[in-house]
Amino acid sequence: MHQTRPAKITSPIFSLKDGYVRTIPLALIVGAVGIGASLFFSLGDGLSDGSLRRFYYIYLVNFCFLLSIVVGCLFFVTIAHLTRAGWSVTVRRIAEFYAACITPLFILFLPILIPVLMNSDVVYPWVHGGWSLHDKTEAAAIAGLPLAERPPIEVMKAAYLNPIFFGIRIVAYFLIWSAMAWFYLKTSLKQDVTGDKKLTLRMHAFSAPGMILFAAVLVFSSFDIEMTLSPLWFSTMFPVYFFAGAALSAWCTITLTASWLQQTGRVTDEITTNHYHDLGKMMFGYGIFWGYIAFSQFLLIWYANIPEETFWYNQRINHDGWRGFSILLVAGHLFIPFFAIMGRTARRNRKFLSAAAVFILCMHWVDHYWLIMPEYDSVNKTFTFNPLVDLPCTVGMIAVFIAFFCLVARDRPLVPLRDPRLGQSLNHVVH
Amino acid sequence: MATVNNYLDNTYDDPDHRAPLVLGGMTYKTVTETVVAPWESDKPPRIWYLLFATAVCLLMMLGACIMHLLLKGVGVWGNSNPTYWAFPIVNFVFWVGIGHAGTLISAILFLFRQNWRTSINRAAEAMTIFAVICAGMFPGIHIGRVWAFYWLFPVPTEHLAMWPNFRSPLLWDVFAVGTYATVSLLFWYMGMVPDIATFRDRSKTKTKKLIYGLLSLGWTGSARNWHRYEIAYTILAALATPLVLSVHTIVSFDFAVSQVPGWHTTIFPPYFVAGAIFSGFAMVVTLLVPARAIYGLQNLITLRHLENMNKIIMATGMMVGTAYAIEFFIAWYSGVPWEGFAFYNRAFGNYWWAYWIMVSCNVIIPQLFWFKWCRTTPWFMVIVCIFVNIGMWFERFVITVTSLCRDFLPSSWAYFYPTSIDIMMLVGSFGLFMTLFLLFCRFLPIIAMSEVKGVIPLEEH
Amino acid sequence: MSHNQNQTSKLVGLLAEFDDPDSLVHACDHARQYGYKAMDAYSPFPVHGIDPAIGIQRTKLPFIVLSVALCAVCLGLGMQWYTNKYDASPIFPGYAFKISGKPYFSLPANIPVTFEVIVLSSAFATFFGMWLLNQLPRLANPLHRMERFKRATNDKFFLMIETGDAKFDRSRTESQLQQWGAVAIEECRQDLTDIKLPSWLKLGGVLLAVLLLLPPVMIYRAMGMTNRHPRLHFMPDMDWQHKFKAQRMSPALAEGSYLFADLRSARAPVAGSVAWGHLDTDGEMYRGIKKDWTPKVTATATVGPSVSTSTSSQDAAAAPPQEPTEKVAPPAVVEEDLTKYVTEFPEGVNVNAELLARGQQRFEIYCSVCHGYAGNGDGLVNARAVALNATGQATWTTAKSLHDPIVKDAEKNPLGRIFETISVGRNTMGPYKDQIPVADRWAIVAYVKSLQETGIKPLLVVDPAAADAPAVEAAPTNSSD
Repeated sequence: MHQTRPAKITSPIFSLKDGYVRTIPLALIVGAVGIGASLFFSLGDGLSDGSLRRFYYIYLVNFCFLLSIVVGCLFFVTIAHLTRAGWSVTVRRIAEFYAACITPLFILFLPILIPVLMNSDVVYPWVHGGWSLHDKTEAAAIAGLPLAERPPIEVMKAAYLNPIFFGIRIVAYFLIWSAMAWFYLKTSLKQDVTGDKKLTLRMHAFSAPGMILFAAVLVFSSFDIEMTLSPLWFSTMFPVYFFAGAALSAWCTITLTASWLQQTGRVTDEITTNHYHDLGKMMFGYGIFWGYIAFSQFLLIWYANIPEETFWYNQRINHDGWRGFSILLVAGHLFIPFFAIMGRTARRNRKFLSAAAVFILCMHWVDHYWLIMPEYDSVNKTFTFNPLVDLPCTVGMIAVFIAFFCLVARDRPLVPLRDPRLGQSLNHVVH
Repeated sequence: MATVNNYLDNTYDDPDHRAPLVLGGMTYKTVTETVVAPWESDKPPRIWYLLFATAVCLLMMLGACIMHLLLKGVGVWGNSNPTYWAFPIVNFVFWVGIGHAGTLISAILFLFRQNWRTSINRAAEAMTIFAVICAGMFPGIHIGRVWAFYWLFPVPTEHLAMWPNFRSPLLWDVFAVGTYATVSLLFWYMGMVPDIATFRDRSKTKTKKLIYGLLSLGWTGSARNWHRYEIAYTILAALATPLVLSVHTIVSFDFAVSQVPGWHTTIFPPYFVAGAIFSGFAMVVTLLVPARAIYGLQNLITLRHLENMNKIIMATGMMVGTAYAIEFFIAWYSGVPWEGFAFYNRAFGNYWWAYWIMVSCNVIIPQLFWFKWCRTTPWFMVIVCIFVNIGMWFERFVITVTSLCRDFLPSSWAYFYPTSIDIMMLVGSFGLFMTLFLLFCRFLPIIAMSEVKGVIPLEEH
Repeated sequence: MSHNQNQTSKLVGLLAEFDDPDSLVHACDHARQYGYKAMDAYSPFPVHGIDPAIGIQRTKLPFIVLSVALCAVCLGLGMQWYTNKYDASPIFPGYAFKISGKPYFSLPANIPVTFEVIVLSSAFATFFGMWLLNQLPRLANPLHRMERFKRATNDKFFLMIETGDAKFDRSRTESQLQQWGAVAIEECRQDLTDIKLPSWLKLGGVLLAVLLLLPPVMIYRAMGMTNRHPRLHFMPDMDWQHKFKAQRMSPALAEGSYLFADLRSARAPVAGSVAWGHLDTDGEMYRGIKKDWTPKVTATATVGPSVSTSTSSQDAAAAPPQEPTEKVAPPAVVEEDLTKYVTEFPEGVNVNAELLARGQQRFEIYCSVCHGYAGNGDGLVNARAVALNATGQATWTTAKSLHDPIVKDAEKNPLGRIFETISVGRNTMGPYKDQIPVADRWAIVAYVKSLQETGIKPLLVVDPAAADAPAVEAAPTNSSD
């Protein structure tokens, strides 16, 4: 009854071809200029006393933003194999490329990790003592004392929050993620050549334990990288919150990349309207999921009203500038995308969906900004938005990330060429 | 296409083509006849009578317990200072959780286009409704003065001159469970209308013709009707998906918005939802394995269906296990002594036995499903699933009782003992559930014929 | 087909049967291309690809649901706002009350219920909207009269071209359908003889409607009636409980024998019980008695109920011993042991401006009504009572002036004694320990001492004869401090 397309790639180019040779140097130059400018202006930031703290914080915001995209793409690949998904085959390679960017991303984390290992609390306050005290003069006095003089809660938490263990954990996270990502990419690329369906079975078999590893690493990495910025605060929901944002941004990034590849004529009719429809559904669904998680976390802390937890939300909601950001998040991260991509027509329109993806990604950046930046001025919790530092750094880091993607993708095929489920994906129809 | 190999086993994993979801070379006609057979036969199998008699006995015991409770008051339960929430709440959360699998199968798997849901969704949805009835009963009788139940709803009454408190999570529960029961019922009935029309067209007696004729609303299967029907079904699925999340989320709010150590933890909403799906799937497997054997539905509810469900059981079991681990880690990491004590007390305190029953049933035993034999052998998976249900009941028991029995005030510390009424009501609620389910098996289509016909491989025709 | 049949039944359309969904879709395609519009396909399950083949427009159902959902947002929030915040309505007003420290209308706490209302309303809109758009339930349909059509819900596929179509032509349409692959073609006829409702059904419906109206009418009537009979007790409702209610008689075990000999069901606390949080071991602070003071053991000292109702043993010990009972002396002449009272403020009471200000405020609340703002014993109550005394309408002991030399004397009235006076009363003055917390009593003591030191004289001496004037004098004393 249905017209069945043969399981063959018909696009004329289906790789970045020579594009990456031009893109990588350009992106790196933009990255260097952006990060350089941000470093320069950071010295002049009012609150950082001539240090680079401002730069470090905005750098961490962007790092977390990029990390969540990469981790989300790794999740996409794993879940696609776990559920034996057929429809997503033609967009899976894009996710595989992004997931493999986890390895170069580790290099981007070094500027954060090295100061921690050198016992500097420029980013993570727990490196030195005194962070749990409200009286900052006392904190300053204690900071110079040996570990035993710290308040008991700091001594207790130092078992987990200490530079060496932190470093070991971070390296372990990136090793596990990289191993997973490269396993998928290598196996999938090998299948392009051999067409062996056993490779698919091998990826299927790996996906179940892979998912457990992924979950374990995600839980602790989100605690370590973002939650410990405010070492007194804790929320068991935090990893789920991080995951919801990560998965959402991954769907957006994949949509955007697919759209760009089609726009530039690299992949033509392998990615159909039906794929965009499904990607749009996923963006819609995960947007609601993010809202659900964010609201649940907020409601539980707001309702119980326990000081150990509420201070974190208090500074984000009851300080004027951050209140604006909170409202922006609720509106922009949840409600605007909800109404924008609710309809079938909107989801089946590639350009509209791409615009929505860009918007959601911006909001996802705001989300990480909102998570991290209030800790920058942890004393007064004032609202600090310094466009001269923040924006160049963001542009620069995204440029570097694009360079990473081009480096990983190089002249490799942008769609799996001989996946056994290619036919299913090409003939995928959303009713 | 149906080779001998396929007939016996469709659990293989071949990326080249999808394994068939219906076996035995079935056609539209044979699907209809297989599903209708138990209903058309004059007498149900003997085992049905046996089960039904047992279930009705348990149901009568439940009725007697409820009468006793109404006449004597809630003091007949073991609930006492400081454990004022005990069996009734535990049973409520347990049954609501069971219900979640039905909606998950009919709504979420539908949205994810998991076609294998078609064979099992009807029974699972029916199970949802019966489980929600069992669940709703417990808070219903827990309010003590049952005849004043309407105080729970915003009813304008002159003599009461007041309204419910909408800031209380217990009232959210009323709305959540009420909405859930209603929407599940609509969803179930709407999905059943085309199949009831099949029953109508095969009815022989006048009574049956009248009843099924009215219930089928004059359905003809017109293409215009199907068009709106399918869109309505998708919308209901899209509504039921956040609804099912919200229901167990709100149930978790009952605990988590409080300041009780061990209850107030932010991961509760997704963790409760995962646990609910976990227990619900286990219940579906427990019910469907005997049902497919009794009614000869092996070609429609195939091993692949069961295997897929077992995989979901394993996955959600591990989510629940992860949540246990995160809770313990954060209880330590938070540095809050009360949290730390609550969790230490759970594992090594006076209810250590309940905690370790929970961990072994929920986290350790489902790991058997890593082995293909375990997840494709019907009798064995039923055993595992019964353990899962025991474990999930104990999870709610552990959460509720261990946190309460160690009050903030050590002078109030006490050990909770259930009374015989407590236990008889728990057992009796299974009687209610089984009675309803057996009646459903007898009088309504237990498999969504119209949906199964849609996924029969085209080559067979 | 005879002429007679044509009168009793009407042709509705031609029904063509097909064996599989593909041939049905092909036939629909042909029919649409030919130009048929009034047609419909019937299948046991939704056949994909039939919508364009038959020319079905996408339904507006999603928009109906969306608009209902948006209304439900207002409904859900409005309901909670009205019931929990707005209580100014004259009929069925809301009920605003503070609970768990949340505002009356607190958006986070109101979101769950709003969400459920949205889902419930949208689900109703979807469910009922779908049946409405499908024009179901429709129980009388000529199709259901056809034996062949029964397989439309089983395994066969049908296409019906209706007579209402402009291009319908009995014989041409039949041959077309055959050409398009129909395996069987049958006429669908509507029986005209039984399209009317039977008359008994109408009558029954009216009767049922009338009967249904009866219960609400009876309830409404009962609401306006009184009844001398006791309320029907269909549930015990905790009316008979296994407990003794306050201030009832002790239950009788048998004739003349009671569970409690004193015939009271209420029990006094066990001797020596101390109320939670009232151990009060610091005697100087709580009673104004020196730490190292021990009562002189005088023969048969008993504690009269007028001395102190406190059950604390120390309090009992501190009470002034009474004369032996055989002497029958009035309690007023009991010789007091003045050495037991503290003469300094106890530890923990810091006498400073703050304490004095507090003392003044409390004094003016509790003491000034009798003793007057300046302590001259000319308070409003006192003045009124003295005036009533004069006419014989009251027997009032005049309140003491705090500037009275005996009251002022530090020997006869040490600090502890003043404190005791405030706490348990003296002569006709009542005890204030239940009204005034300990710290405030000490603040009053401090203020009384300071009043006495300043020695303010009354601005207006009360003349007992001028009974009409008491209200005037209170005002100027305000300015005395």
